[in-house]
Amino acid sequence: MTPATVDAVIRGLKKAGVSIACYLPDSLFRPLYPALDADPDIRTIPVTNEGEGAAICGGVFLSGKRAVLVMENSGLRASVEPLARMGLGAGIPVVMLMSYRGELGENNWWAIPHGITMEPVLQALRVPYAVVREEEEIERTIEAAYASAYASYYHTAIVLGGRLVR
Amino acid sequence: MMTRYDCMRALAARLSDELIILSLGGSVDEWYDAAPHMRAASLFQQQLGCVTPQAFGLAAGLPHRRIVSLDTDGGLLFNLGILATLANERPRNLFVVVWDNERYQSIGGPPTHTAKGLVDLAAMARGAGIEQAHTARDLDAFDRHCVEGLAAQEPYLVVAKVDGSVRAGIRRKHSDGREDKYIFVRHVEATEGITIMGPSEHN
Repeated sequence: MTPATVDAVIRGLKKAGVSIACYLPDSLFRPLYPALDADPDIRTIPVTNEGEGAAICGGVFLSGKRAVLVMENSGLRASVEPLARMGLGAGIPVVMLMSYRGELGENNWWAIPHGITMEPVLQALRVPYAVVREEEEIERTIEAAYASAYASYYHTAIVLGGRLVR
Repeated sequence: MMTRYDCMRALAARLSDELIILSLGGSVDEWYDAAPHMRAASLFQQQLGCVTPQAFGLAAGLPHRRIVSLDTDGGLLFNLGILATLANERPRNLFVVVWDNERYQSIGGPPTHTAKGLVDLAAMARGAGIEQAHTARDLDAFDRHCVEGLAAQEPYLVVAKVDGSVRAGIRRKHSDGREDKYIFVRHVEATEGITIMGPSEHN
């Protein structure tokens, strides 16, 4: 992940009005986490698992502030229970930004399940999402994810793949 | 042994402008009856493991407002990691009550892991780094912890050891999670002077 990509992500989050980022760090987004930590306009909250992060983001929504859940796409699987309960049960949205592990070309055996399960899990939860592989699309897509989440009061997801994270 | 309902009545008497997130089953109906003046200020949830994380998210977003999490033994055990997160983040406006009736009451009462008397949730919280984590076994002690917890400038947790009863004859709450969310969000909007769920754009 290049510094320019990191900057584009943070610009997009700020344009969307995000002031709190919950994350469980991963390797593909490695430079993003310290950049979020260092940003004076964003409070970061490291969590012990992504489901906990999803629930915290749901609470932030109820406060009127905007949150993002940042994680590897494997974290989606850990988040399914709170996402289903909050989103389908109460209409409390969580916007997720995840790295695409297990994309075509993945060379780690342990990451293969993440690629196989990500899109079917998003589809099972009926979460609108976009896979972004071009830097110039990042800002606009993040803004779009928040626009949809705050019109539908349902989750949305931005997946960064391809050369953006490899 | 004290009842959860009596504890709720004691806590409710000390609340006015706080925001509450709670779970689960019978405790929802009990709180609805025990704290009628806090109904709009309470988000009634039906989910294990989400209650204290949501309350913390709310506390992070509204740092000037006192937030109360009414969690349960089963709910806290579902996601113990939140204890470590609270210890690290140290919210100054979050009071966590854990109703520990040693059972999954909403599905008929099979035991949780606290039922054998070996698992000490308050000690686990202290081990995670929440220094103000206590167990209350009688109403006076519980009420004292409410006073402390509602004024604390650091995360404060009290485990209330309560019996397995549900108050007889209480009104059932009729609304679902979606209606509950709207009621709660409109209350936060009105009392904070903010817009959370605003009008759609016309374009």
